[in-house]
Amino acid sequence: MAMSFEWPWQYRFPPFFTLQPNVDTRQKQLAAWCSLVLSFCRLHKQSSMTVMEAQESPLFNNVKLQRSKGHLFLLPDSSLKYLWRKAEGRQQTEGKLPVESIQIVLEELRKKGNLEWLDKSKSSFLIMWRRPEEWGKLIYQWVSRSGQNNSVFTLYELTNGEDTEDEEFHGLDEATLLRALQALQQEHKAEIITVSDGRGVKFF
Amino acid sequence: MHRRGVGAGAIAKKKLAEAKYKERGTVLAEDQLAQMSKQLDMFKTNLEEFASKHKQEIRKNPEFRVQFQDMCATIGVDPLACVSHCARPEMTFRLPALWSRLTLFFSRSYPGKGFWSEMLGVGDFYYELGVQIIEVCLALKHRNGGLITLEELHQQVLKGRGKFAQDVSQDDLIRAIKKLKALGTGFGIIPVGGTYLIQSVPAELNMDHTVVLQLAEKNGYVTVSEIKASLKWETERARQVLEHLLKEGLAWLDLQAPGEAHYWLPALFTDLYSQEITAEEAREALP
Repeated sequence: MAMSFEWPWQYRFPPFFTLQPNVDTRQKQLAAWCSLVLSFCRLHKQSSMTVMEAQESPLFNNVKLQRSKGHLFLLPDSSLKYLWRKAEGRQQTEGKLPVESIQIVLEELRKKGNLEWLDKSKSSFLIMWRRPEEWGKLIYQWVSRSGQNNSVFTLYELTNGEDTEDEEFHGLDEATLLRALQALQQEHKAEIITVSDGRGVKFF
Repeated sequence: MHRRGVGAGAIAKKKLAEAKYKERGTVLAEDQLAQMSKQLDMFKTNLEEFASKHKQEIRKNPEFRVQFQDMCATIGVDPLACVSHCARPEMTFRLPALWSRLTLFFSRSYPGKGFWSEMLGVGDFYYELGVQIIEVCLALKHRNGGLITLEELHQQVLKGRGKFAQDVSQDDLIRAIKKLKALGTGFGIIPVGGTYLIQSVPAELNMDHTVVLQLAEKNGYVTVSEIKASLKWETERARQVLEHLLKEGLAWLDLQAPGEAHYWLPALFTDLYSQEITAEEAREALP
């Protein structure tokens, strides 16, 4: 089954790949980049990335910038294919966000709470399309709704159990889940504990 | 009896004659006014009849609207103005008193929003359209800096009106925008390459800026070289204009284009026509 990702209009707008000198325009540009990164990663269930990967990804790399609709297709073999309709006689240019600008976008995401560096050298990062606090809130709401306060869960049960199949946090990656639970722990709504074969959580 | 010659008496008589002439002039004006009033009454009745007979047509049919507006313009009537006036300068010059009495006649008889617009119901249509235009421009300002092509505006307005609303033509849009402009809302109309750019944010755009916008219309972008070649300007003058467009948020800089920096205008980026206003942009548009 192929999923298609709809790129926003900015992605086909050549100046989008140049860091704008005008402060107000740059703000709009960065907001659009942040939004694009989050929706891209959300759709492809990508929770972490290296900067190298990011540079090569179609995300920051519009290989054929054209004035026609382009779609990204995820094929059954998990490869990404970028397809587009050819624009007749139009100039084809490359749109590639330079790595310094990519760093600026990533820093924006970090400031907003959607990104966390996984190493000191800032070569790889965790990307969370919802902030940990937001995830924590959703999880706790489910716990309360289903009357399961004071219950203990393994991390696996929370994200892969039958009971949570309809919940948004079903299928959430462990790294993000941990941070969500840590946020709840801070609010004294949960406690991360060790269980027989790994980690679990108790809700209050 | 001998004829009077030039002397004190003659001068006095001349003065008397002049005075009588002036009096007659006033009398003449009164007559004319009475006659005009009668004619205007008749004209008004006829126009009212015409308007009520064709009211539906005026509301529904954009082409008919254009023709009706043209007819009104020919006879010097602005259906959207508060005071209808006859656009005949000779009258104004020759009989200023009569002219001002005419204006008074209309404004006294039909105070308020505009007799014509109320009677014909045409004013509401343009008033509502004006509001819709402002809404579209506000929603897209975040994207294009307050500059939009007439085509895109038209598309978005039609989209907003839905399938069952009255049809709206580009001519309708221009008229509505002219009204908005007259109300001092900061709207502007810039002719470019056969169409128009509508300015909804009062960015300072002088002749230099406008002419560069016109140049940019062809490809959606413009470069310093292009400006120098087409307009025969010095580099500095071209740079200043482009800097201003960047500053006003009307243009974005592209340093990855082949050769030299390209300055793109989101308003002219044709791809945008088919784009929906994203939820984020809608959020940004709200104050």
